[in-house]
Amino acid sequence: MTSSTSPVLKFGLRLLAGPAGAVLVMAATFVAAALIFFAINGREALSLFHEMVMGAFGDGYSFSETLVKTAPILLTALAVALPARLGLISVGGEGQLYLGALFGTGAVLAAVEQPGWLLMPLMLTGAMAGGALWGVIPGLLKTRLGVNETISTLLLNYVGVLLVSFVVHGPWKNPNSLGWPATIEFPEGAILPQFFDTRVHMGLIFGVVAAIVLHILVTRSRWGLGLQVSRSNPRVGTTAGISYERNVLIVMAVGGLLAGLAGIAEASVIQNRLQDGLASGYGMTGFLVAWLAGQNFLRIIPLSVLMGGLLASADSLQLYAQLPKASADILQALLFITVLAVSSLWARRRAA
Amino acid sequence: MEIQLYNITKRFGEVTANDGISLDIRQGEVIALLGENGAGKSTLMKMLFGLYPPDEGSIIINGHETLIDSPQKAMSLGIGMVFQQFNLIPALSVLDNLLLAYPKPPFWTFRRLFGAGAPQRKVLAYLEELAPGLDPNTLVRDLSVGQRQLLELVKVLNLDAKVLILDEPTSVLPPQEAERLWGLIRKLSDAGRSIVLITHKMQDVMACAHRVVVMRSGRLIKTLSREDYNEASLVSLMMGDSNRRSEIDTTPLPEVTGRPPRVLIRNLHAHQGVQSIDDINLNIGAGEILGIAGVSGNGQLLLADALVGLASLTRGEVILDGITLHSASQAPKTSERIAYIPEQPAVNAVAGDLSLTTNVALSHFRQLSFFPAWEPEETLTLNIIHRYQVRPDNPALLAGQLSGGNLQKLVVGRELHGRPDLIVAAYPTMGLDAGAAHDIYQALFAKARDGAAVLWISEDLDDLMAYAHRIAVLQGGQVSGLFDPKTSNRLDIGRAMTGEKKTTTEHIPTPAEAHPRTAS
Repeated sequence: MTSSTSPVLKFGLRLLAGPAGAVLVMAATFVAAALIFFAINGREALSLFHEMVMGAFGDGYSFSETLVKTAPILLTALAVALPARLGLISVGGEGQLYLGALFGTGAVLAAVEQPGWLLMPLMLTGAMAGGALWGVIPGLLKTRLGVNETISTLLLNYVGVLLVSFVVHGPWKNPNSLGWPATIEFPEGAILPQFFDTRVHMGLIFGVVAAIVLHILVTRSRWGLGLQVSRSNPRVGTTAGISYERNVLIVMAVGGLLAGLAGIAEASVIQNRLQDGLASGYGMTGFLVAWLAGQNFLRIIPLSVLMGGLLASADSLQLYAQLPKASADILQALLFITVLAVSSLWARRRAA
Repeated sequence: MEIQLYNITKRFGEVTANDGISLDIRQGEVIALLGENGAGKSTLMKMLFGLYPPDEGSIIINGHETLIDSPQKAMSLGIGMVFQQFNLIPALSVLDNLLLAYPKPPFWTFRRLFGAGAPQRKVLAYLEELAPGLDPNTLVRDLSVGQRQLLELVKVLNLDAKVLILDEPTSVLPPQEAERLWGLIRKLSDAGRSIVLITHKMQDVMACAHRVVVMRSGRLIKTLSREDYNEASLVSLMMGDSNRRSEIDTTPLPEVTGRPPRVLIRNLHAHQGVQSIDDINLNIGAGEILGIAGVSGNGQLLLADALVGLASLTRGEVILDGITLHSASQAPKTSERIAYIPEQPAVNAVAGDLSLTTNVALSHFRQLSFFPAWEPEETLTLNIIHRYQVRPDNPALLAGQLSGGNLQKLVVGRELHGRPDLIVAAYPTMGLDAGAAHDIYQALFAKARDGAAVLWISEDLDDLMAYAHRIAVLQGGQVSGLFDPKTSNRLDIGRAMTGEKKTTTEHIPTPAEAHPRTAS
């Protein structure tokens, strides 16, 4: 008898020891932690959890809202993952996002009379330039002066957010907004295309395409090989003729550019204007997603969708369960801790 | 204290590093553990020192079988080991380094409170005995290699070691300091301590061993007492049939009159961290092997980096075939015309988390297409793997999965394929067994026969004297002497290494002025 059952059992155990098992345990732990969190709040845990899942993926509308939140997470995650491929720890997604929105809006305001075919490219170019600028500055500080990129990107986040705050309270404030700190509404020609009558916009396409292209470049091309070599052993890279400095600037600029696109998409599609609190927290969420995905561009896509779902469901939690909005952050934190703990545990067990 | 190693076997994967070795260590005796690199000497002694457990066999101390599972255990039993790599903190003084290693005062005892008190005197007792002139307040970074080694020895003696294991102690020393060490070893054994001297040098054995144990490829070949051996018999025991030094052809190329040297190093100054080189003027002709001797840490590595284009110059220039390659006015830049075998290739020449094929492709990174085709690279890698017997022979493995020695062979193969114009090789055979070292010398010097200029940095004066056409000695970042190995003797070179006397560099015969020679 045992001889017939043991191979099945063995196979099961082996499966559990692999990545599939890790994902399974992660999911189970997270669900358990979420249920405990709901129970502590004195709610019907299971039904609330059901509500949450439905709020993220339950019907077409909820799923579209999930995808709306996926786009900026995906783009800012890429903005973190690309420098990480060179060993840089950038936390500047948030600031780059704001700078993208700032420069993109600047282009819109400057060319507001122009037709859409001109306005749209101007806006996107402005956004990319703004994001890239906020990536290149820490890059230059790093290569020229040896300033730690984590610190400089972190600090530039504040500068970016406050710059936006400054222009919407000051020079760019819509005079007809009755004191509300925001720019004028974007004209029709400056609103990114959306799909199927939902708020899902071009930003998501940009993100998915960028993730795939970056994945191919980094894993297959000579340039990507250069990044790998420089990260693994900078001295060997220099000997082979790979310019670390140039690559730092490239990855920081491209990363910033992508986050900048996320910023202009938020301003253009979601808010229709530039205003304070444009996208609080997307940059940080993107950072965490990038590290959860192990800087793998393809893995970032589903993880961003999952995280977008979590954020979207927070709205429904507020609505149906009167839980504070902060509960979404708590759930997000629970998910991250679970994933990090389980994956480290698995890695350690594999090493042993 | 009597130690018996009984039937010790140790395997690393498929390699048997020690195969059933039995050995006894008696009180007051100097045992030389003689063998080529890779013979398994260090492995055996690291097991005695508790660094790894034997797979089979036992260690018997004073008649009791003893399990030594950590260096702490070994030290508590009175076994101490001095490694090739020193374990000192350069920024601290001699006294501080000794105090750090001294077991008695607990960490909260501030050294200032000692004053000239008893504990300090105890810590310094051996230092005063072994190196009377050395001020304990000197910073370790200002010590010579020989003094650092002494300090390591004092650390071990402070732990009350009865058995001292010295791992290749003379490999880093210039000839005079080696002699001093031999004297010290004799003195310690007269005082009743046992000493195990791991070495591959005949001079060490002849100078101070009571007994010699010859090892070869993991096996104990023979144990001989003082009266039963001579240098010649030991060489053949140690090498087996692999004494092939004579097969390497280093005949200089005939010099074409009026042809300038391929490489001109003019007035070269550079500094990097604490290392610096000053006013280096050297030239290397086509097919010439210029050996660089010197105690390590005297600017050899910086010179290599400066030639290759990894370190920026503060003054001077490097000219290859009439074209200025590096100069103080331009940012350092590497060139594919230069092959570079850096020291410790496992650390300095490979990316550990990339495959062997990728690592081989790095030598011609600039020629790869944007989406590199990997088949030709894999073929090339397989060729190198077979030619240099890299193990395991799978090009898809990550470099980090190979041992240091195998990576070294891979890097040598990578750098020597194609037709480099200048080859800079820093300690290319360090840590390799005799056969592999021989293959590498053969390949390296064959490139010289093809017309490449070779700059070869080595610590092994015997090898330098055997193969180099000229030897330049680096001392304190400067060329302290330039020698023709056929007409110079070891002691003169040794003096230049320690900077005792500046040798005149006025007339050095170029290889062609001297008689063309076949290897001896």
